[in-house]
Amino acid sequence: MIRFSERNLAPPKQMRPVYAVAAGQSDFRKRYPGKKTEELAIEAFRMLALENGLKVESVQELRSYIHSAYYGHFADHFGDQLLGEAQIHDRLGLDPLANAGIKTGGATGGSTVWMAANAVASGYSDCVLALGWERMDEVDTRTGNHYIAAAADRDFETELGHTYTGYYALMAQRYWNTLGGASEAFRHTLSKIAVKQRGYAWSNPFAQTHQRITVEDVERSPFIADPLRFYDACLMSVGAAAVLLCDEETAYKLSDDPIRLFVAAGSHTLRAADRRPIDIPLLPHERNDAAILQQYRDLYGDGKERFPGYTGFLAARMAAHYAYGMTGITNPIEELDMVELHDAFTISDVQTYEDIGLRPYGSGADFIESGDAYHTNPLTGLPGRCPGNVSGGLLGTMHAIGATGIMQVNEILWQLQGKWAHFHDRPELWERFGKTRPDDIEDLQIRGARRGMAVSHAGVGSHVTCAVLSRPEAILK
Amino acid sequence: MSFTFDNQRPTATVVRSLHPLVIERPRSPVHIHSYGGETPFFEGLGQGRLMATRCDNPACTEAGAAGYLFCPPRVHCPDCLERMTWVDITDGPARTAKVHTHICVLHPGAFNRLPTPSKLISVEMEGVITTLMSHMRVGVPVIGMELEPVFNTSSPTFTILDLSWRQRRAR
Repeated sequence: MIRFSERNLAPPKQMRPVYAVAAGQSDFRKRYPGKKTEELAIEAFRMLALENGLKVESVQELRSYIHSAYYGHFADHFGDQLLGEAQIHDRLGLDPLANAGIKTGGATGGSTVWMAANAVASGYSDCVLALGWERMDEVDTRTGNHYIAAAADRDFETELGHTYTGYYALMAQRYWNTLGGASEAFRHTLSKIAVKQRGYAWSNPFAQTHQRITVEDVERSPFIADPLRFYDACLMSVGAAAVLLCDEETAYKLSDDPIRLFVAAGSHTLRAADRRPIDIPLLPHERNDAAILQQYRDLYGDGKERFPGYTGFLAARMAAHYAYGMTGITNPIEELDMVELHDAFTISDVQTYEDIGLRPYGSGADFIESGDAYHTNPLTGLPGRCPGNVSGGLLGTMHAIGATGIMQVNEILWQLQGKWAHFHDRPELWERFGKTRPDDIEDLQIRGARRGMAVSHAGVGSHVTCAVLSRPEAILK
Repeated sequence: MSFTFDNQRPTATVVRSLHPLVIERPRSPVHIHSYGGETPFFEGLGQGRLMATRCDNPACTEAGAAGYLFCPPRVHCPDCLERMTWVDITDGPARTAKVHTHICVLHPGAFNRLPTPSKLISVEMEGVITTLMSHMRVGVPVIGMELEPVFNTSSPTFTILDLSWRQRRAR
């Protein structure tokens, strides 16, 4: 579809408010032979039930509230287990309640939260569990890359390199040479993203890696697919994450501090090759901004550059359009206090800044260079305007695919509840995961945060969800 | 730690560790895969032809009205869902091909059959609305480089690898 009707573009509706109430997750590791997937799912659920201050005495009591469950698990061939949803559901003690598996590639976690939220918003269920996992350690990394590359077009793309890094490198090259001005400065911007995310992962006990790196480390790391290097690429992880969603009455029965949740989604072709050029769908703050409109004419006018082409993600732009329509957000850089983005690669982080309107297309690098994307702006020492991926993201913390989009929501939920320290700076938590809490842990609580958005993303942009979390007193419409 | 039981017995299992108990599950399945209605594209590569599709439905208000070509081809028009018409673009749009973007893969995934490093490209062609992912076996790609197709007709693999590109020679 290249033309949209007003009906196509209508803001999604929730028939009643949805609240995120509690969250939990396992730690994330490259290899986790010591625990089966079911054990990791139970750890995530137990944390959700017992460590979020819910007004329940036990797992059994919380289970008495749950009406249906939604499970995110992307790649059956990784874990070599079909219908794992049934196994997990049984191990969690939730039989014979209804459950369903959700599968949308890298966006599986986000789509799982989307489906779970819709179950509450529609009135089907008052209280639902969204839980996701991935087991990526049963095969070696080269085989893992092939498995992931099977989520490109198997006939037309997978045979060409069998690596997703290659498909994102094609986008990086095009972006760098067109919107990125073919400059060395753009390379440095990508490197700063790799450093920033891993720097935040240092203070995250759930993180797979705890590694201090520099821009020089990034730019000296080996090419995987030139121009993308080792540190430009995300992790492959094992782990699980869970979040509990409720209607208003149940939310306040269970919690004194539930957080409103809105989720929207968009899609685009599996093959980047098939992206037909269209006019950029404008977000509310772009429609009457003469400077932005002129920038778009300069960049894309007369066929100079294709939109979305290899430089943008239409699915992300559409998901943001719907999410902002649902929530009343009119200028995301002003109204979002934090974002968790799907930084599978440094380049896709930059592209997403533009797709969701934190910067206009062609200006994504400025989100980093201005310091807006940092918890503490390195240029001013003041709080960043809209910190990105303080969890450590996919680059530094984890990409256990079915769990990833849920982890992003969890981090925002805990931030908005003021619980960052409880879930990141407790020595007991570091010990539980077999780690030593670093002495120089950074306090990454975003003070006064009202709203945040998690962007979950699949393929080269085939599915994208935008989950906006808002403190109830900060609802915009 | 690696500890191997008697693998000569049909029930033998390779054990990677004992605590926790970690075993190998070997497999080497073969998928029997059909190209279905896209067969003319993959058949054409082995015969030295690059095939695209076009919507010729006069009632189609989008792709049909625009008249542009799709390569990768589609059996059905994405707009009106009528069957599309196959068009041989070997001596037409393929002769206008340029590099849209490019990379060099140094660490491919398993089952890769291209030489490493391999040069992947995205190809734009006049009159073709899509960009085709492919590769160059010779030469160094740069954005905008003019290309001509090279077909593996001597021993076709019947995959997308039967098509590669090289810098267009002056005529």
